[in-house]
Amino acid sequence: MKILIRMIGIATTIFWIFLIAFFVSAVYSFKDVQFDFGEPQIGLASDNKILFSLPITIDNKGYYNIGAFNVTTEISDYEGFITTRASTFIPVIAKGRLIGITHNFTMDIEDLLQNSRDYLFNDTELEVRETVSIKLAEVIPVQASTNLSIPWGAPLYNFTLGRIEYVGFNETHMVATIPISFENHASFDLTDSIHIGMYNSTDILVSEGQTTIETPQNTPYHGHIELNVPIVGITENGHFDVYFLTPFFNFGPLVIPYD
Amino acid sequence: MTEERRDFKKRLQKFTRKALKATIKGIVFYGIYFVLSMFLAPVSEMVPSFQQMIEVFVMVYIFLMIIGELTAGTIFHHFFNGAKALFVILYLIFALNGGIVGITVQNVNLIVDLRLFLVVTMLLGLLGLAKSVLQAINFLNKEQNTYTSKFS
Repeated sequence: MKILIRMIGIATTIFWIFLIAFFVSAVYSFKDVQFDFGEPQIGLASDNKILFSLPITIDNKGYYNIGAFNVTTEISDYEGFITTRASTFIPVIAKGRLIGITHNFTMDIEDLLQNSRDYLFNDTELEVRETVSIKLAEVIPVQASTNLSIPWGAPLYNFTLGRIEYVGFNETHMVATIPISFENHASFDLTDSIHIGMYNSTDILVSEGQTTIETPQNTPYHGHIELNVPIVGITENGHFDVYFLTPFFNFGPLVIPYD
Repeated sequence: MTEERRDFKKRLQKFTRKALKATIKGIVFYGIYFVLSMFLAPVSEMVPSFQQMIEVFVMVYIFLMIIGELTAGTIFHHFFNGAKALFVILYLIFALNGGIVGITVQNVNLIVDLRLFLVVTMLLGLLGLAKSVLQAINFLNKEQNTYTSKFS
């Protein structure tokens, strides 16, 4: 009995020492692990989605390997609808190693537009949930998460069609000049094809036309489109159906009345 | 009278020895805590309640250890050792919130999953409890043998 008790005592003491030493050293060595999140880059993915690239550098100067490093980004609109979710995973970061990775995630504006067209015409904010999880010494799971709001700049901010100006073309037709203006508040350059259909008060399509515009980010656009309109179709009022065709999104019709 | 005095002196000596042993054990345990707390200082800076949690644990543990040492040679010694093992198990379960510890530091939610650590400590605690029970049984058995041999 005495031997058994002594054996249990010795075993318990050894295990306690090992457990405490391991736990304390694992926590202590974490202070020597450096995470560096660089400036996010915005570009265009091959499938015409907006590509965000976040460079991450991990310098593991600790005593143990780091396991299951995972970065997850979730972007949701103001209603909580998740439009983007992406993860970057590294199974093991060995001790003493410096690793540089790029956490890429793409955002499809079409997904945003499914819920609200406001994202095209009004500046707003997107909710970003960033989660980083690791396993200290490949054993103790630790997860850090934070919620951020990032500003969303509308690519067609304050889109307006100005007053139509008619100029005679021939006996049957006139040239209608429609001023177009907006500001590209988005973080990408906009190469846009705008298709406009002009309807008179009886909802008959009297003319249509298309123009291509290029607007760098954070710049206003002022231009116009000219439509050849038959005189008999012109009424005092009516509406335009505007379609936008861009590499990032297709949207329309945007109905804008005129008088 | 001299017999009584000698007996008292013997008891006092015995108690002094126990007290000395308890004091040394307490100091050594506190010393270990002091050294380890330096390593855990980064965590304490991030989580102010962590330091308090550890301090309460160390205080109660040292108290039970001293009481246990002072009652050495009695059945209470084993009771206090068992209480110490149970305290370790229960305190860690409550303090570690079942193994999932969550804190918020400057808009960052930090979750540490210590379930594996908790399971191991619980197993070690149970092993300590089993040892105390065996020690108590052994002690009672020995007492019984002494009592039987005295009166047979």
